[in-house]
Amino acid sequence: MEFTSQFILLSGILLTLSVLASVVANRSGVPLLLLFLVLGMIAGAEGPGGIRFTDIQSAHLLATLALAIILFDGGLHTPLRTFRVGWKPGLALATVGVVITAGVTAAFVMTAFDLPWAQALLMAAVVASTDAAAVFYLLRSKGLQLQERGRATLEVESGVNDPMAVFLTVAMIEVLLAPEARLGWDALIAFVQQMGLGTVIGLGAGAGLALLIDRVRLPESLYPLLALSGGLLTFGAASVIGGSGFLAAYVGGLTVGARARTARLAIRRFHDGVAWLCQIGLFLMLGLLVTPSQLLPTIPQALLVVAGLTLVARPASVFISLLPFRFPWREQVFLSWVGLRGAVPIVLSLYPLLAGVAEAATVFNIAFFVVLMSLLVQGWTVAPLARWLSLALPGQRQHTPKVEMEAPDGQDLLIYHLPADCPAAGQPVSAIPLPEDADVMAVVRDRHPLAIEPPPKLLDGDYLYILARHAGEADLALLDQWLTSQDADALMREHEYFGEFVVNAEAEIAELAPVYGIDPPRDMVQGESVGRYLHRRLKRRPTPGDRVVIGKMELVVRETENDRITRVGLKLRRQRKA
Amino acid sequence: MNVTNLITPDRIRCDAEVSSKKRSLELLSELLASGQPGINATQIFDKLIGRERLGSTGLGKGVALPHARLEGSEQTRGALIKLQDGIPFDAVDKAPVDVLFALMVPENCTDEHLRILSGLAEMFSDQALCERIRSSDSPEEIYRHVMQWQTAHQSA
Repeated sequence: MEFTSQFILLSGILLTLSVLASVVANRSGVPLLLLFLVLGMIAGAEGPGGIRFTDIQSAHLLATLALAIILFDGGLHTPLRTFRVGWKPGLALATVGVVITAGVTAAFVMTAFDLPWAQALLMAAVVASTDAAAVFYLLRSKGLQLQERGRATLEVESGVNDPMAVFLTVAMIEVLLAPEARLGWDALIAFVQQMGLGTVIGLGAGAGLALLIDRVRLPESLYPLLALSGGLLTFGAASVIGGSGFLAAYVGGLTVGARARTARLAIRRFHDGVAWLCQIGLFLMLGLLVTPSQLLPTIPQALLVVAGLTLVARPASVFISLLPFRFPWREQVFLSWVGLRGAVPIVLSLYPLLAGVAEAATVFNIAFFVVLMSLLVQGWTVAPLARWLSLALPGQRQHTPKVEMEAPDGQDLLIYHLPADCPAAGQPVSAIPLPEDADVMAVVRDRHPLAIEPPPKLLDGDYLYILARHAGEADLALLDQWLTSQDADALMREHEYFGEFVVNAEAEIAELAPVYGIDPPRDMVQGESVGRYLHRRLKRRPTPGDRVVIGKMELVVRETENDRITRVGLKLRRQRKA
Repeated sequence: MNVTNLITPDRIRCDAEVSSKKRSLELLSELLASGQPGINATQIFDKLIGRERLGSTGLGKGVALPHARLEGSEQTRGALIKLQDGIPFDAVDKAPVDVLFALMVPENCTDEHLRILSGLAEMFSDQALCERIRSSDSPEEIYRHVMQWQTAHQSA
């Protein structure tokens, strides 16, 4: 009885503190996940909290459950477009890349510590995969709007690289426990099976779940629960028959997100909350699990692992895995640095503990320290680095003051609250660029709806009700831009990044160049459009921000649609006075 | 860049009665051609509209910067109009345009053309200046604001 009450009280305190920690994180810029981890350590055996938690078995169960939900939620939130852009390079990083990272790190560990290879490889495999929770959180946290290709690659990588790391870890544990066993074709087949079954189950269960959500009539609040249970089902089904549950959960989430139409917003909102709960729970628990005093003696060793991993192994892995995709060097530098480690390495380091491998405690402590350093150093530097490498798109991704609702017939009702300095303020309602198939339903001022005809001028403080049917992302982004406050330098930054002028992608390059007295480029094909020329020169899938220099101007990709360049920016390069 | 050499109050129109993109370019062409023997407005208009066909010269936030190079022209010159109500200009942000600065340069000066254009783009990205132009009542007042901006930003 007493234990139960105390347990609930403690959980309540820790959870409340964690939620409030997000305020501290926002103000100070301290990586939030790190705060959860530290909070767990403070509450733990050696902190003032004094909670003793050493149950590896339950920790493993809870952590896996949390990871499954985080991955499912990650998939649910990944737009199909992001997946299309990022899946090939992401998959390369998640397979070949993880092997290279683990291999190089292991070589480093072997020489530095004089360890047998299997043990070195175990230590390396545990820290080889990037973490979905950390990556999703950092890339979606406010302020940073990362260039599309880099963001998509990182997201997909972190979503699908766990099977490889799990596989390597398990294989190494087997080798360590039964030294006469050899790694052979069996191992490879087992890996292919993990990936294959994980993907198939993920796709199948995701599609089935989407169908179920759209067909079954339930009270509104049960749909999100149906999605969540479907996610757990997907993970469980895949793992039970020998596939990768992590992969299945991510792919399943992706499929449901792309297909299910019913209660879309309700499901997302609920899953946001649940994913937060999982992250908090996961990091708190891992913080509780560690014994800080045992962490200290491993620090010199762990620092060497961190150095080898981030400065040698990850860059090598990024460089080699991405060779076929011709990523610009800036993006390679960025991807190399942002190999964020989060909960996954700590969870993986529980495997050897459970299996009873010698030195398992060292592996756990080193993995813990690696994660701590990664969250601290990389978590803090991601945004400045992106800006420094000009991979951050101009304009802050900021909160748009709007409410979204689902009308019963599948339409969306958007309610905007107009801020003073938004482009729409002072304009007549009719000037707002509405997506196709969208209408203004009402303008409400001082709690009274205004007449729509003739179009009234919008003022700040107005509420604008818009009914939209399946509006595209780009259209909605433009609408948001009109109805969100813009700071005075926004236009300047946009010109700096995308160029001052805009050119239609269909315009002929032979017509454009002479306007500026520039000779048409010699490698141009007769009658070639600006868009096609750019695509050909880039030799890769174009993404907004890609640029090519022609004489004294620069052509910048501004918008793309299914790999086709649709809008190009024209930047006049700064001319030096003679 | 020195805007002082580009415009005079004669080539500025305040609250011009213009309701389409085509009409605005015609008016700008007329202003650019005025007082230049051997150059007619139609020639300029054709060049300006030719550039617009490749992509709108709207900068965003209600400002546009139509521009062209012209054979036979001796001088680099500009013209500025401010409209009472914005007109559709097919700008990136879909905002109607009410401040337009047109630039015409001789065929042979390319470096200067690009330098002036990027300078003008910077100048007209300044929201404060655009607001002052919008609230002006006469060509002389607009001219003064432009000159003040120029002085302030040259010394800086």
